[in-house]
Amino acid sequence: MNEVNKNALTKPLPTPDGDSQALWDGLKQGKLLLQHCDDCGHVQYYQQGMCRLCQSTKLRHQAASGNGTIYSYSVVYRAPGPAFKDDVPYAVLLVQLEEGPRMISSLVGKNFDALDFDVAVKLTTGAISDEICLPYFELVD
Amino acid sequence: MRDSLRGKVAIVGVGQSPTGRVPGRSPLDLTAEATLNALADANMQKAEIDGVLTGNAFASSFHRFSVALSEYLNIQPSYSNTLQVSGATAGAAVNTAAAAIHAGLAETVLVACGDSLLTGMTPDMAIRAMTESRDQQYEMPFGIPVANTFAMTAHRHMKQYGTTSEQMAQVAVTFREHASRTPGAQKTELITVDDVMNSKMVTSPYHKLDCSLISDGAAALILTSAERALDYTDTPIYILGGGEYYSHEHIFLMPELTQTGAVQSAQKAYDMAGISANDIDVAGIYDCFTGTVLMMLEDLGFCKKGESGGFVEDGQITYGGKIPTNTHGGMLSYAHPGIPAAWFHFIEVVRQLRGSCGERQVSNAELGIVHTLGAGFSTQATTILGAGSTR
Ligand SMILES: [Zn+2]
Repeated sequence: MNEVNKNALTKPLPTPDGDSQALWDGLKQGKLLLQHCDDCGHVQYYQQGMCRLCQSTKLRHQAASGNGTIYSYSVVYRAPGPAFKDDVPYAVLLVQLEEGPRMISSLVGKNFDALDFDVAVKLTTGAISDEICLPYFELVD
Repeated sequence: MRDSLRGKVAIVGVGQSPTGRVPGRSPLDLTAEATLNALADANMQKAEIDGVLTGNAFASSFHRFSVALSEYLNIQPSYSNTLQVSGATAGAAVNTAAAAIHAGLAETVLVACGDSLLTGMTPDMAIRAMTESRDQQYEMPFGIPVANTFAMTAHRHMKQYGTTSEQMAQVAVTFREHASRTPGAQKTELITVDDVMNSKMVTSPYHKLDCSLISDGAAALILTSAERALDYTDTPIYILGGGEYYSHEHIFLMPELTQTGAVQSAQKAYDMAGISANDIDVAGIYDCFTGTVLMMLEDLGFCKKGESGGFVEDGQITYGGKIPTNTHGGMLSYAHPGIPAAWFHFIEVVRQLRGSCGERQVSNAELGIVHTLGAGFSTQATTILGAGSTR
């Protein structure tokens, strides 16, 4: 098997960049760092060098509470490539964080019957490599 | 509107390669064949092409597909670009070609695209197609293919408006019926709503038959100035309006999941053409998934927000309905070779407006719309087309 074919069996591993390094460092400590704009108050999850609304660079990282609700979801039955074959079925979530931003994540576990719009979920993290922890969500009882 | 391109440019030739399963043919070869067929359709020599716009092909290693295609055909255009706005590339390329002709950058532009997603993909290429579809840091690690982004919008639409899976399935049933009348369609066997509902779940709420096909194929359009159009054909089809909108990149930054930038792109195109949705006789709507079509029927103005499910169930997107849509069968049943897929929507609407669709003909079709989109509704491009009577 050549190198590229081997990669097909490996899940995409995020490569932190100048914009996102702090986010990935935070996740390693179990924190989801959101950027708060000191000039306009906007809160953003997607990490940028400037506020997406007012372009201010006065951004402050603050850990999210981890509380959110399910804005939408889709349970994946056909894997997008061999790397995810052992995981199906799994639920991809569009989570509405209580601080305002939305984010893509996936559900811990396979309790799909309990999945619904607007139900509460709570942040958790899980390591996928020595360097990278992903933010996941679990249903709140 | 300031000296717009309305009526200044026309499509004078359309052509395609064989579609469906076409093994052993490179994307360049397929696209060159489609080009020669479009040239023949326009009674035109290849040397008259001075502009080339294409999309890129996954099953081809060329970064500058438009330049590689020109070399393949041995033409030397003075205007060329390879566009990339995912599924909206077709509409964006036609709009851009029309603008270039109107502005004098080119006289006659070939707008072509071809790919072999079904038989031409090596594992390396398949990986590239997969990994390039979503953000490496924020989306792809969670196993979210582009299909999943469309699924989440449809799912929210069901929650918000009570749209049902059966109503989405009706889109696939209708387009299959259309494809059954189209020579060369990849899928022609009639299906029922139950067939769609009973097909395997891919990513909820989408079943296999809610999803577009995977195909090989290429298509080409030739555009020239209105002054020259009648030299090539008795039935030039004019570009009456164009509009585009790019609202976000990441699905989690889409402003609203159930209303898309098609509202803005269509409004811009309607305004340029001086018409409204009510005036349109026939539509080509990008149908990567069934629910995508429902949302576009609303956002393009053919029915009210939230009412597309009943609209489709009432037969409004087929013959005799308010807006016959994808009369060739669309990506759900005719062909879906990737980026080239929406070129076939253009070809079908052109043929409808020429009145040359035979048993598929929509009676008295004079005004048409083609709406293409991509990347989880990130990219939107609308084009209004009209027969000579509408210019
Ligand atoms: Zn700000």
